[in-house]
Amino acid sequence: MATREASKHATKIVRPLLSSDKSEAKKRVLNLYKTYYRQIPLMLFDRHLPVTKEECQQKLKEEFLKNKHVTDVRVIDMLVIKGQMLLQEIVTKWAQDCHVMSLFKDTVEHKQNDFLSKFINSNDSQ
Amino acid sequence: MFVNMAFNLIKQSGGIAIKKAISSSPSKGLFTAAVRSSKETRGLEKVYEKNEPVLLETDNVIGKTPLMAVQNYIEVADKVDISSLTGVPEEHVKSRLVKISKATKNVMQSGTDNTHNWVMEFDNRERWENPLMGWTSTGDPLSNMKIEFIERADAINFCEKNGWKWYLEAEHKTKPRPKSYAINFSWNKRTRASTK
Amino acid sequence: MFRTTLQRTAPSIRLVVTSGQSRPNSNVPPSKLEVFIDDKKVHVDPGTTVLQAAALVGVEIPRFCYHERLAVAGNCRMCLVEVERSPKPVAACAMPVMNGWKIKTNSELTRKAREGVMEFLLMNHPLDCPICDQGGECDLQDQSMAFGSDRSRFVDIDFSGKRAVEDKDIGPLVKTVMTRCIHCTRCIRFASEVAGVDDLGTTGRGSDMQVGTYIEKMFLSELSGNVIDLCPVGALTSKPYSFTARPWETRKTDSVDVLDALGSNIVVSTRAGDVMRILPRLNEDINEEWLSDKSRFSYDGLKRQRLITPLVKDNKGNLVPVEWEDALVTTSRALINANGNIVGVSGGLSDAESMIALKDLLNRLGSEELYTEEPFPISGSGTDLRSSYLLNSSIAGLEQADLVLLIGTNPRYEAPLLNTRIRKAYVHNDLEIALLGSKVDLSYDYEYLGESPATLKDLAEKRHAFFSKLSKAKRPVIILGAQQFERQDGAVLLAQAQQLSQELSKNVDKGWKILNVLQQVAGQVAALDLGYKPNLRLSAPKVLYLLGADNEAILKNKPAGTTVIYQGHHGDAGAAIADIVLPGAAYTEKQATYVNTEGRAQQTLMAVQPPGMARSDWKIIRAISEFVGVKLPYDTLNEVRDRLTDVCPSMTRYGDLEQANFLAQASDLAKDLSFKSVSTPLNVKQIALEDFYMTDSISRSSPTMAKCIQAVRKQKESKYYESRI
Repeated sequence: MATREASKHATKIVRPLLSSDKSEAKKRVLNLYKTYYRQIPLMLFDRHLPVTKEECQQKLKEEFLKNKHVTDVRVIDMLVIKGQMLLQEIVTKWAQDCHVMSLFKDTVEHKQNDFLSKFINSNDSQ
Repeated sequence: MFVNMAFNLIKQSGGIAIKKAISSSPSKGLFTAAVRSSKETRGLEKVYEKNEPVLLETDNVIGKTPLMAVQNYIEVADKVDISSLTGVPEEHVKSRLVKISKATKNVMQSGTDNTHNWVMEFDNRERWENPLMGWTSTGDPLSNMKIEFIERADAINFCEKNGWKWYLEAEHKTKPRPKSYAINFSWNKRTRASTK
Repeated sequence: MFRTTLQRTAPSIRLVVTSGQSRPNSNVPPSKLEVFIDDKKVHVDPGTTVLQAAALVGVEIPRFCYHERLAVAGNCRMCLVEVERSPKPVAACAMPVMNGWKIKTNSELTRKAREGVMEFLLMNHPLDCPICDQGGECDLQDQSMAFGSDRSRFVDIDFSGKRAVEDKDIGPLVKTVMTRCIHCTRCIRFASEVAGVDDLGTTGRGSDMQVGTYIEKMFLSELSGNVIDLCPVGALTSKPYSFTARPWETRKTDSVDVLDALGSNIVVSTRAGDVMRILPRLNEDINEEWLSDKSRFSYDGLKRQRLITPLVKDNKGNLVPVEWEDALVTTSRALINANGNIVGVSGGLSDAESMIALKDLLNRLGSEELYTEEPFPISGSGTDLRSSYLLNSSIAGLEQADLVLLIGTNPRYEAPLLNTRIRKAYVHNDLEIALLGSKVDLSYDYEYLGESPATLKDLAEKRHAFFSKLSKAKRPVIILGAQQFERQDGAVLLAQAQQLSQELSKNVDKGWKILNVLQQVAGQVAALDLGYKPNLRLSAPKVLYLLGADNEAILKNKPAGTTVIYQGHHGDAGAAIADIVLPGAAYTEKQATYVNTEGRAQQTLMAVQPPGMARSDWKIIRAISEFVGVKLPYDTLNEVRDRLTDVCPSMTRYGDLEQANFLAQASDLAKDLSFKSVSTPLNVKQIALEDFYMTDSISRSSPTMAKCIQAVRKQKESKYYESRI
């Protein structure tokens, strides 16, 4: 019992990726968010996207909140780095309109997650 | 090798202070010089303007940050979950089950060279025959994901890291049995060979 | 000359049978020998062969004729290795190591020996690789690449050519191309030692040597398919599997066989959604490396007579295919209208997950009537004490026994791999066997005690002559066939067997369990563990829910006024009387839990998807529960298994044997019963080989099994057939 409790709080000493503590990571995340936010009108000006500025901002918020459960500083750093890479691709037009729109997943059929729909439509062992 | 690495890092940052730092403490190791170069961006040039060798003490440098940070270590939780980083879609993290087992020996052959590793496989999803060529088609991106590990613990760590649910199948070992040619000719046992 | 066992030549001679070596006054284990293999030191017990010693180090010496579970033959000569200071290379599989030996497995001499052997084998071997089924998993191919030379010196092709041998017909299961045979004699040794059928042998010698049955006869054994695994080349291959797939294009899924109660471990080879073949998997505790023919070859029954859509009876009385929603609505309506008067029956192939789901559903609807098709006495301790219905000694534990009493069972066909164990102990450990019941041809000699149940009563009351032998045994085993519980006095038989084992347990080794019950079907132990009641007595409930129940004897007449809902995978007896048919998944198509007759829980894995609109069984019941309104509290397989763990914690500890206790208490509870004994003789259903092949819905739909039955019947009419009963 005690060891189980201990293992829940077990920690290890590792080399950091970029930030050395949570506050620094938070600064990076917020910085990234702000950069994206400021980039959105420029992006919409550059490209012909069928979304409005508000929809983009909502999507941005959604994507950031998807990872709000992450607590490991290195994982947060890595997510920030990947976000920066995506931002670079959007800005430099390496990512075309279709790639930006795929973030919105508007053509993807939303899978229903209740038991009966999964029962009728598919058959997996789990 | 470390020399080159540190030098490159330093070159990127530039700055007179850094050069001074290098020249002033060659024996301290270029590592510490590299550390100092990263501190520079925080507007700490004033600290390095002095021409005397600066001992790397916490109080001097940043003002009471924990020792670990200065030595470039942080403390994180033991259990790492990188499932948000790997790019695996969420449904293939949440709804898949991984089986970790020792590679099964083919009964048709007597060779055991490929049975020493621990194999990690996913539950099977639908596979069907493609009508064009008769090859196997599937909609499951993890259908061919079969990773082999030398140690069982490595396989388990990998699954934990990626967030997959896993279960372990125990190793089936053959019992070593005594073998003797002479028992084929025993006069009072049933092991006497009755055919060739 | 023909070497034969002493028993055969002079059966009147009473053999003095000693149990292994008797070391005088020694409690110290023998000192280990020191051997050097490729300059690596290893300490081995005396008696270890060079091959085994090398395996301990990690060096695998190539071989063709040596097999761990068969006697040593030493005729292929591929395992020759150089031993220092020995003039000739030594056959590693047969030579026991001596102290201080230096064995070189990769020296010049060893390599030359291997290349030489390979050259000789390949000289007379036909160039059949493109058309041979063993290609890709052939020992000859692999060893010639690894150890053979790259060039041949065979010029005889321009003169007398390669040897050719006629194919032998040994049945509809094993395809023989005897030209490819390298005379390793593995099949001969298997047939003689493990299967107990001494039909295979060699005729002629030199290059005219042929392996076969000499006179054309079928290999009449329920384990005949194992020679396919044993044969290192493509001489013996699987006839149903021939020319269908190559091993590198198949996917292997580990699973468990459910066509008998043992739960032999198997590997299901599939390609693009079809099962191509079923091979055994190593499990020392259950099936070692063998697999019975029914489990191996019934997979083509998985494609015939399948239920692929839900069916509902319309007003004309015909079953019409409907969509899942319609079927579920109809089912839920029937269940709600039944008002608790529902009876659930689980069949022999039902898995634990679907059984717990059905039990939960029916309990929530107010019904406690859940039965198994297979019988078991409910008097006395009934199914409350687990040890009453398990194989308590465990299958591997049977090897340690010194006397086995079989009561009303034919283990050869009911559980072939259990019979293999008994035979293994009979050959190696001098096991004595006695049989009480129908006189059947077991693959070993046994003492026949008659077929009257009164004999069991006499034994239990210590009157019978055989009792003295039983009481002298240090580790006796009594195996009672579960089929005998169909009789009216099944409870009496169990009580008497329990009494007898209690009597005997006073003199046996501590911790040794005597009484065992051999179940007939894979789903029985799990059902009884989960709380299903045995002995279905078919009354006329409002709704009868059949979970894969196909027992014709019980289901031949549809009870009047009942809505019958059948959930299963084959259109067998159950679907024939059903009003609503829900298509379920067979054992290769679902991840499910089965508990074998010794109480070990194992799981099958999904190798292919169920055909058409069929679904996993527990999911169907969970979907019904949602329509009915009593939604079951689990949505995923893990949650169902958590529920299973709540009810029976050992059921999700896969691979572990959960032993049972309270044998004495069970016997006490059965003492005061007043049941009358019936004097009809103890019969078994599966007496001859043709009764073995079709016993459940999958094997009944298999054309290969039908061919087997035809071939066995034909063989029985042949003049060379000798009955061994």
